[in-house]
Amino acid sequence: MADETTASTLDRRKFLTVLGATTGGGALALSGCSTGKVEKLVPYLVQSEDQIPGLATWYASTCTECSTGCGVHVRTREGRPVKLEGNPEHPVNRGKLCSRGQAALQGLYNPGRVKGPMARNPDGSFQAITWDDAIARLAAKLGEAGSRVAVISGAGRGTFSDLLGDWTAALGGRLVRHETFDREPERAANRQVFGSDQLPLYDLGKARYIVSFGADFLDTWGAPLEQARGFAAAHGFEGGQVAKLVYAAPRMDLTGLNADQWLPIKPGSEAALALAMAQVLVSERGGQPAGLAGALAAYTPALAAEETGVPAATIERLAREFAAARPSLALAGGVAAQHAGATEVCAAVNILNFVAGNIGETVRFGAELPAADGHAALAGLARSMNAGEVGVVLVHDANPVYTQPRATGFADAFRKVGYKVSTSLYLDETAALCDLLLPQHHALERWDDLRPRAGVYSLMQPVLEPVFDTLPAGDILLRVSQKAGGALARFNAPSYEAHLKSRWQALAGELGESDFAAFWHGALQRGGVYREPPAAGAVSLALENAQASYTRPALGGEGEFTFLTYPHPMLYDGRGANKPWLLEIADPVTKISWHSWVEVGPGAARRLDVRDGEILELSTPQGTVEAPVFVYPGIRDDVVAMPLGLGHTAYGAFAEGRGVNPLDLLAAPSGEYVPYLSTRVAVRKTGRYRKLASVAGVARQLGRGIAESIPLAAAQKGLTVEQAYIEAGLGHHEVNTERELEAVHGWAEEQHEATQYGNYEGENPQWAMAIDLAKCTGCNACVTACYAENNIPTVGEEQVLKGREMTWLRIERYWEGGEEPGEPVSARFVPMLCQHCANAPCEPVCPVYAAYHTPDGLNGQVYNRCVGTRYCANNCPYKVRYFNWYKYNERAWPAPLHLQLNPDVTVRARGVMEKCTFCIQRIRGAQNQARLEDRPIRDGEFTTACAQACPSDCIVFGNVRDPSSRVARLAQNPRGYRVLEDLNVRPAITYLAKVLLPAEA
Amino acid sequence: MRTLAIVLGGAGGLAILLAFGDPGPEAQQTAAVPDSIAAPVISDTGALQGPRQPLFFRHDIHAGQFKIQCQYCHYSVAVSPEPGIPSMQTCMGCHLVIAGSDSASRTEIRKLRQAWTEKKPIEWVRVHFVPRHAHFPHQRHVKAMGPNACATCHGDVARMPQVFKVNNVTNMGFCITCHVERNVSRDCSVCHY
Repeated sequence: MADETTASTLDRRKFLTVLGATTGGGALALSGCSTGKVEKLVPYLVQSEDQIPGLATWYASTCTECSTGCGVHVRTREGRPVKLEGNPEHPVNRGKLCSRGQAALQGLYNPGRVKGPMARNPDGSFQAITWDDAIARLAAKLGEAGSRVAVISGAGRGTFSDLLGDWTAALGGRLVRHETFDREPERAANRQVFGSDQLPLYDLGKARYIVSFGADFLDTWGAPLEQARGFAAAHGFEGGQVAKLVYAAPRMDLTGLNADQWLPIKPGSEAALALAMAQVLVSERGGQPAGLAGALAAYTPALAAEETGVPAATIERLAREFAAARPSLALAGGVAAQHAGATEVCAAVNILNFVAGNIGETVRFGAELPAADGHAALAGLARSMNAGEVGVVLVHDANPVYTQPRATGFADAFRKVGYKVSTSLYLDETAALCDLLLPQHHALERWDDLRPRAGVYSLMQPVLEPVFDTLPAGDILLRVSQKAGGALARFNAPSYEAHLKSRWQALAGELGESDFAAFWHGALQRGGVYREPPAAGAVSLALENAQASYTRPALGGEGEFTFLTYPHPMLYDGRGANKPWLLEIADPVTKISWHSWVEVGPGAARRLDVRDGEILELSTPQGTVEAPVFVYPGIRDDVVAMPLGLGHTAYGAFAEGRGVNPLDLLAAPSGEYVPYLSTRVAVRKTGRYRKLASVAGVARQLGRGIAESIPLAAAQKGLTVEQAYIEAGLGHHEVNTERELEAVHGWAEEQHEATQYGNYEGENPQWAMAIDLAKCTGCNACVTACYAENNIPTVGEEQVLKGREMTWLRIERYWEGGEEPGEPVSARFVPMLCQHCANAPCEPVCPVYAAYHTPDGLNGQVYNRCVGTRYCANNCPYKVRYFNWYKYNERAWPAPLHLQLNPDVTVRARGVMEKCTFCIQRIRGAQNQARLEDRPIRDGEFTTACAQACPSDCIVFGNVRDPSSRVARLAQNPRGYRVLEDLNVRPAITYLAKVLLPAEA
Repeated sequence: MRTLAIVLGGAGGLAILLAFGDPGPEAQQTAAVPDSIAAPVISDTGALQGPRQPLFFRHDIHAGQFKIQCQYCHYSVAVSPEPGIPSMQTCMGCHLVIAGSDSASRTEIRKLRQAWTEKKPIEWVRVHFVPRHAHFPHQRHVKAMGPNACATCHGDVARMPQVFKVNNVTNMGFCITCHVERNVSRDCSVCHY
């Protein structure tokens, strides 16, 4: 970087040279690059065989950021991972990866990681110790505790969890598999209705009609990537069909914003609605087991209308539509099914699926999904802790002190345990209370495996040398066992890696593979072993147990509003709060980053006389929190909602002291579940105000036609967006005057002439993109992929408040309708990035030719030429150019986070304009490879980071000059349009209009 | 021609190498040494051009006198943007048995062996570099220019006792002159991104 002191003594030309000398990525990225400095070339002692300097090496592994168990490909350069992408062979995620999974990289290189084993001093501080010492301490404490040992672990199942189970059993201790949003209500309902404790898989791709009762299946519930893939197939106008999605919940989450119809039902009334639909179905169609009609008889649409607030006629219509579409699918789960009546909700939905004939069709049992123990197990453990029955507790892959509501009293019970041990990678709230920290390896540093479902054995392998002095959790257990001896002596594998391999040898036997070496290498290369999933298990209605029931939720507290809280789409249950990408990339629904907020409906906001940013105090008998208002059209006016995930008291510098934790408001659970819906809340205006760190611009399209839509019937006829408007009597074809046409044609001729000289001669590729808005769900996976691929700095809350976020690719979210009370509201999502205009307004205004058009159709941005006039950004109609106001390159990646930087992409310096490059480093990489092999680039050989990540495959990238390419065909699609086409800037991105179902069909 | 190679990794893992294929005929290009030269005896190393290296490695002996191909050591130059700096193991491959013919070379080879025993790689002083905002794919240049590729920028290294900069490769003018002469792309974004 230009050093101020030297820069001032340089002449202008030299100054510009140095200013432009932006640092490259890599370990040396931030070390400066003055030309006088001696640079060292340090060779390897022994060259690793699978690394070629300058080229990426890919390893297959498994994501552990949630319990879904998606397969990943890890891109490494010179021995360090720089990007995570989905593994296309993996049956769960098929090559896609969500934001939270991609951000695992920032967990690996997190500055807040525990750097080695530590023990607590009597004065409460932590002191670094050696591993031998740490192992000896734990072994001694285990010896003292005898069977008074408890282990809290995550929900993931695999060799490690089996080992942990055996190990705990050998001690005579107690193991609780804990997950923040456990699916116990769903399992309880399945036990009741089908007599099966299993969780089914949902085949959304097959469904012709989907009703979700508050299940956020696109983002935070179930297997979101698999479900998003299915939803895109069902709802994305493939084969000219769009399956209707109805979303019944008091608040719309990301799934709700993708729904064709939102039913803003009263909180906790899902079961009444589902039962009424089932009742209509049974009474009108019959043919169901006797007794079912009787059980359902009481749940009439009239009753449901009263409970839910949805008119009875609408419920009847929904039920008929649901029955007519074969197969259909009803879903319940997530936080909507986490309250006292949660089992009833899930049971009602099970009955609805059963009477509609969806079991075995779209609801498939037999996948053996791993399940956490319910909340009751953890509550029982807390009681034992309180009673002094636990001598040693070991916490692995869980942070219950943070994720349990304060009213459960878990933290106090935990404090009473004599000796507390954590294997957490970070000093989270639970680890901060512990006496001994045994930080385990990150998933990318260790050997391990997961069994996310029947027939899927997913492997993890170390892809780099450990960043810190950590050990794999398996090795910690084995070493402690050898030290402690006794009942643990039989855990005598030389290492966890050896233990894992012996288990895989047994697995090879079970699967009938005789050649273990080939089996093992094949599994490592493909990321695991994927067998055909078992046929859908047959379940039948256990009528005697299948009591249809609905109880109106009993809420504690007083106040005008019912309080809802929900997992944050980026931070989930709070585990993402130490990763700057997840903090800065805005929540897809509200577009707010970095802080907490409270959602208030437009009507309620008028009643309270509050606006965006006004700080409200929310109080319940359990506690009080303060947060700024976000007026959200997608929430009922008698409900306020807050996202979980912030308000950490530990968990590293990024998370600590940021936002508030709404769990403090919740009532103590009375039953099996953490009651996320449990209380009313008193709301008080504080009279203070803060600006929301929102990345949204204007929230409505104002007739600009940015996110276009087309009615289903018109799309099926193959009409264009304009023709559809004309047909609907909403517009007319604009006839250009002769003078206008002449101007445009004259321009085209000039352009043609200009492309005949020098670099522009001949047939160059024209890189282009197509984005199908019928499939885009607004999930942010592409945005995170862009941050990872292109070394985009996170600028921090202060800069976001000034509108200086650097999101090369952002998702615009526009509201439709909802302006009058009672008018339905919906959302449109548009991924907005540099449009690489053929007639780009940014180019002619650049005084130094830093913004210019490349022969292959890109809108180039030459960082070393840029002097930062910002004229280009001012002249860009799409607002996709971003300026480096500060030395973000020096502060966005505190060590060792800088190790994640992609060495193929220049890290931009202060004073430089930047924007989407269509991943030019990937284009050049593919061109280099093709040139070596004397062949043209093949369509689909490479793609941009955003297109690679998109779970619904809505982004397609390629050479539009190649008529056989996917993008060339999509560019001709009748639904295609260009944003702000009237400006005649000729964007290279074709958007395909969203297909809308008729309002009442 | 893309291959899917399976290689056991240094970290113990298994890599899927999608990114490099058969090096092909271009990998067989040779250093431009028409005839073996006799490397001179050098008594005053202080008078040599170029930065002094921690170990007096003589390209004129290796590439000139013994005609070892550039790619024997700079192994990835034909497949990757990076030419590859030989690992200490590559040096020791020969110098495990070759101890040097005179006292001067024996001294230097002893340094190498000591570094190998102590597992401390020699830290070479970098001579040629392009700024980090410019991308220079070695493999394309070797592919395009064939046997004389290396000397075009690096000069006649085979006759250099100590490597020095013949061409100012840090200066864009040097690149552009060649690209103009050969009528290949001068588009900014070919190198700057």
